[in-house]
Amino acid sequence: MYESITSAPPARVPAGVPPRTGLWTTYGSLLRWTMAQIGVMLPLFIVVQALLAAGIIIGFGFLIPDIDTPAARFLSTGAPTVLLMVIGFVMVPQGVAQARTSGTFTYMRALPVPRPLLLLSDLTVWLAVALPGIPVAMVVAQLRYGFSYTFDWPVLVAASVLAAVMAAAVGYAIAVLLPPLLAQLITQVLVFFVMLFSPITFPASQLPEWFQAVHDVLPFRPAADLLRAGLLSGGHGVHWQDFAVLLVWCALGFAISVRALVRRA
Amino acid sequence: MSGTVLEVEGLTRRFGSVVANEQVRLRVRAGEVVGLLGHNGAGKTTLVSQVVGLLRPDSGSIRVADVNAIADPATARRCVALQAQAQAPIDGLTPRAAIEIAGRLRGMSATDARAAARTLADELDIREWFDRRATPDGGGLSGGVRRLTAFAMAAVAPVPLVILDEPTNDVDAARRRLLWQTVRRLGDDGAGVLLVTHNVVEAERVVDELVVLDRGRVVAAGSPSQLRGASDHDLRLELSLHPDGADPSEFPADVPIPIARRVRAGRRVLLTLGAADAEAAVAWATTLRSDGRIEGYALAPATLEDVYLAVTTSAAASAATTTKEAADV
Repeated sequence: MYESITSAPPARVPAGVPPRTGLWTTYGSLLRWTMAQIGVMLPLFIVVQALLAAGIIIGFGFLIPDIDTPAARFLSTGAPTVLLMVIGFVMVPQGVAQARTSGTFTYMRALPVPRPLLLLSDLTVWLAVALPGIPVAMVVAQLRYGFSYTFDWPVLVAASVLAAVMAAAVGYAIAVLLPPLLAQLITQVLVFFVMLFSPITFPASQLPEWFQAVHDVLPFRPAADLLRAGLLSGGHGVHWQDFAVLLVWCALGFAISVRALVRRA
Repeated sequence: MSGTVLEVEGLTRRFGSVVANEQVRLRVRAGEVVGLLGHNGAGKTTLVSQVVGLLRPDSGSIRVADVNAIADPATARRCVALQAQAQAPIDGLTPRAAIEIAGRLRGMSATDARAAARTLADELDIREWFDRRATPDGGGLSGGVRRLTAFAMAAVAPVPLVILDEPTNDVDAARRRLLWQTVRRLGDDGAGVLLVTHNVVEAERVVDELVVLDRGRVVAAGSPSQLRGASDHDLRLELSLHPDGADPSEFPADVPIPIARRVRAGRRVLLTLGAADAEAAVAWATTLRSDGRIEGYALAPATLEDVYLAVTTSAAASAATTTKEAADV
């Protein structure tokens, strides 16, 4: 009598290194994941942006008695920039700081994906969160002052996307560079700087000259001027060095963020 | 398929003056489940973090599926599926979506990922919550279902090495059993599994090999029966002491039977003895209890937990002695 011997079924796991997953598949899957995490908050973000826009356009209006049309225009066309900066420099660092504290950041870094893609998918989602702020601010301004815009679409689209991505990338860099608690503190300070000390809702000519020079290299005034040129074509020229300043800040934000994602402690 | 999927040699990693891993040596072969045991802070998570490229070792080598994980961490990560000790970030997702995304990230087609997710949900009996969304701050899904989802995310695609860090935390008894069956199945499918845990009793049932880490060092390694040693037929007499009660086995002269090993863990004293002395041991323990010197006792076959406690406690004791000697010099 022979005993029958059943051999084990063929192994399901192939030997060796699994092939690399396509970049688009990886990016798409990460986007789906990040969108689900941040996306549930999207309606809330839009409400917050509307309230913030109302605060700037209506509230700042109270500061100026007998506001004339040019001042109202300046205020209203600066509001979208303030919203973009607040999302990028405040919400993004807080989100990243929270991800670092909860272990999500580490979890994502342990995934079998090229780590720069983690940054790209995060920034894509933040872009989707930030951009609705622009029409929201325009609607609020329209309701309050009732004037019309003269769009320069190519400039508006390029300036909005570049300003939003720049702010989110730099915000991300702040959050990965500093300990979470410090990062949150810095973002609070930045809100005041953006709202009160940056020539976004008022002309730069009201600042002392040395401070104007500082704002030539900081990203806030260039972002505001470019967005304004997109919203009111004709009145405000496009200065290409403003684009250059934003691009440099964008590159800096990317470089620091990618380094923090890739680096092993 | 007898290849080595994880080979760690002489791995050392310090945090300032704290040595988290010291000369760690570890090997996981394809098809094998290896348990990595150790107390809190023994250096288990530090070891895992180095394998997946979150930390850089001070010295030593790590090879994952024959890839040098220190020189090429990105490629090594493709060979490892990790269930981290922290909960996976699945807020806003259903378990189905989370498991499918994990499969897609490892290159599975949408159809394959969907099928594999369904299979795992059945294996782990979580179909009831399969389409329920996890909401922020721990809402929507319980901790146990989240943990099982995270496990499924690590188990969904065929990879050479699966690392599970405390996979059964928060999971109920019935589903723990299902989870262990799936872990065993992963091994049978040809993956190497590194199971990180401090739960010796659970680990004993599923692992082929064990490595015990204590204060960053490997203090014991081998198969469960090797670790239990020649004394595989030994018995364990467990005495439960009164709160603040004296330990009647503290002085060997007071114990009427030969004791191979004595380990005290809080109010429990574990005595290892030969099977031939069982009758005398029971008589002694019964007397102790009727005299009110102990709360109760139990006699059972020696387990891996006894060995584990013995190696980690003796290492601690010798470390304490060493410190004292150093202080005396």
